[in-house]
Amino acid sequence: MPENCVETSLLHREYANKDFFGRVKSTVTALHELDISVKYGELFGIIGPNGAGKTTTIKILSTLLLPTSGTARVLGMDVTRDLYRIRKNIGIVFGGERGLYNRVTGFQNLMYFSDLYGVPPSVSRKKVPELIEMVGLTGRENDKVEKYSRGMKQRLHIARALVHDPPLLFLDEPTIGLDPAGSRDIRQIINDLKKAGKSIILTTHYMFEADELCDRIAVISKGRLVALDMPSGLKKQVKDITLAEVHVYGDATPLIESLKSIENVSRVFSDMTGDRTIVRIQTPDGSDVLEQAKSAASRLNLKIIESSVKEPTLEDAYLRMVEE
Amino acid sequence: MELNIRRALFEGYRALIGSLRFGSRGTIIWDSWDMWLLEIIILPLAQISFFEILATYANYSPAMVQYVVIGNAIQTMSFSSVFAVANITSSDKWQGTLPSILLTPASRASIIMGRALYQIIMSTLISTTGLLYAYFLFGVNFSSANYLFLAVSLLLTSISMISFGLLISTIGLYMRTAMIVANVFLFIGLLVCGVNFPISELPVWLRPLSYVIPLTYGLDAVRLSIAGAGFYAVGIYLLYLVIDGLAVFSMALLLTKTFERLARKSGRLEIY
Amino acid sequence: MSSGEVSRVQVVKASMILTARNFFADPQWVIPSIIAPFVFTLVSLFLFSHVNGPILLYAVLGGGMMGMWGTTVYGSGSSIGFDRWNGTLECTLSAPTPLMWIVLGRVIWNTLEGSINALFILAIGFLWFRVGIGIADPGLFAISTIITFLSLSAFGLLLANIVVLSRKGGFLTNGIEIPVYIATGTMFPIGLLPFFVQGFSFALGPTWGIDAIRKAAIAGYTGLPVSIYVDLLVTVLATVVYMALSAYFFTKVEKIAKRNGTLGDY
Repeated sequence: MPENCVETSLLHREYANKDFFGRVKSTVTALHELDISVKYGELFGIIGPNGAGKTTTIKILSTLLLPTSGTARVLGMDVTRDLYRIRKNIGIVFGGERGLYNRVTGFQNLMYFSDLYGVPPSVSRKKVPELIEMVGLTGRENDKVEKYSRGMKQRLHIARALVHDPPLLFLDEPTIGLDPAGSRDIRQIINDLKKAGKSIILTTHYMFEADELCDRIAVISKGRLVALDMPSGLKKQVKDITLAEVHVYGDATPLIESLKSIENVSRVFSDMTGDRTIVRIQTPDGSDVLEQAKSAASRLNLKIIESSVKEPTLEDAYLRMVEE
Repeated sequence: MELNIRRALFEGYRALIGSLRFGSRGTIIWDSWDMWLLEIIILPLAQISFFEILATYANYSPAMVQYVVIGNAIQTMSFSSVFAVANITSSDKWQGTLPSILLTPASRASIIMGRALYQIIMSTLISTTGLLYAYFLFGVNFSSANYLFLAVSLLLTSISMISFGLLISTIGLYMRTAMIVANVFLFIGLLVCGVNFPISELPVWLRPLSYVIPLTYGLDAVRLSIAGAGFYAVGIYLLYLVIDGLAVFSMALLLTKTFERLARKSGRLEIY
Repeated sequence: MSSGEVSRVQVVKASMILTARNFFADPQWVIPSIIAPFVFTLVSLFLFSHVNGPILLYAVLGGGMMGMWGTTVYGSGSSIGFDRWNGTLECTLSAPTPLMWIVLGRVIWNTLEGSINALFILAIGFLWFRVGIGIADPGLFAISTIITFLSLSAFGLLLANIVVLSRKGGFLTNGIEIPVYIATGTMFPIGLLPFFVQGFSFALGPTWGIDAIRKAAIAGYTGLPVSIYVDLLVTVLATVVYMALSAYFFTKVEKIAKRNGTLGDY
């Protein structure tokens, strides 16, 4: 078995705008020569602004869309040729309200999709209740989907993608529009799926979610891959925006002046609130600089009330990458 | 009831221009060019043909076959006067625009009239096409027709039928089923309004429906105009038509207000 | 990793059951598709009530046929649209099953739904117009009905394709209903039609199907000048041709769907 469950090479997709007579007026590049590979058992994140090409990538990999050029192999098969064999072995979850038959029950939805995926009825009769249990819908499976809350629908949606027990899952913004508790449930389910050995490709707009869940993250902007690394690696790229913070009583002007002379400090700024001054120091070496700041303060007889180092978040990294 | 005629006319003009301009983009299902073709050219021809051949096969006299042809030529206006009008509120609901329209301070009557004006033109056009078919393809005798009476009858039938369509459409404000009701009333006239056979052949329990739907009187007026009847003979049916049209229109306005209040109470404006 | 083909029978059955469940969740939606055949049949019965002989049974059978056709055309026109409207189009397209079999399941249910209307029309004919429902040859009648039913479904399948491919779904589904009532001879012999329309009639399976049904039901009925077995043979042939054409068109539809990513624009 190859090491990667997904491999793309120079994957490219353009959309053509046609005029009334079918002539191509202009083309829009949705995806520009993308090269990514996803290992078996990996939880791989794709993040990027709206219109960056995330959904286009997912659609190509899940055989719903043909690439304009380049190749993509999913589970060792070519997405342009081995259509039905790939589909039998992948599950897709779309976020949002769509994707379920509202007038029939959750159970009936799952049985229907089991049939469409060719799961033998003897298997699905056992499997479907298990899935309902797994996504926490036991007791509500015989209610019509239109009576479900948004979060329940999304959990049912995940169960739907699992009826044929696929080794590879695509989750396209699975927590979009959910309340915090609903999102947490979904993240818990995703974690369980990863533990069960599924390979997962996830797109999301929530950076803490990507940070929490993903083994590796691809950042896509304007159709191009701008970064691909583990969450910690991505955050390292914005190490310079680490903030060391000290709160002191009284006039901090001499402290600020002395801090500016420390090596590696790019900016110092301060805020007076009440009787204290908050001094923020932007630097790549947060803890080192914080120690120096503390000793400088004691030399100047300034009392430190509290101090901390704020490491950059994935969001900081993301914003820098997509804004460049 | 306060009715600003100038504003109503202005709204009507805007609705007309708006419908013509945006029709081709399919904002209202019945207003793209192919739907026009269907509504005005194809469906009337298909329907008249069906019943003309049927009447011939049932051994009807040539006069009765002509009766059937004229009846269907006029009834086809139901596509735009009843079906399309009754669907207006449900398509507003569908597109989620109903709450924003009801939020505008414009009077209900002027909104309704603005929309109706466009449908009056369509309905008259459809029935006129139907009568052209009757003359050129089905050999209906127009030699003694009084064209002035005929034009007035057609116009008044269109207006009254649109009032009836509005009555049906108000149900859409309150129920999920405006589409279903619209479909039923698109065809029910064929049975109960004396389109294919006189209403005297209907069972008595169905006749009240015949007397409510303005098409019944409109058809009498149209047939008499084509037969060249005098002013009083046609006039009496035109009078019935106007009275029925006004009654139906007042009922529609009353129900609109009632249903709007009920809908606001139960929060049904958004659901479909 | 699983491979191997998905059973088509399983898919058709599942799709049929789901469509049925959707129907029973809100059965009043059958009304738009059966109101035209229902009213047309009632009007026909009124017009025929002056005529002697077995013409009422003739009309009632034709009405049943119109009822099935009404739901077929309505259901076919909305077969893909239903998923688009419901937001399930992508999930349906991403299943490892050719779309054709999913749609076939839906079309079969829609035709069945029309049979409910046919029975209703039969009941009205019997109770209101006192139509005698004596079937001359029940066995042949049953066979003819089933074969006609299948040919209507196949026709509906073909139509579902054309609706998707042509972008003019509303035009087709609203515009084809009454012309087919006329062309297939539901209420009067096709001999009464202009010559060029008759050519079209003979290409339609249901024309031969309804002729077979009437020959089996009404003793002494003449209809088309061929034996009932020829009628049935032609109906079966037409069904096969519709299925083959559908298969061809569905490949095209799926190609378009994949090239554009969705059928959403259609």
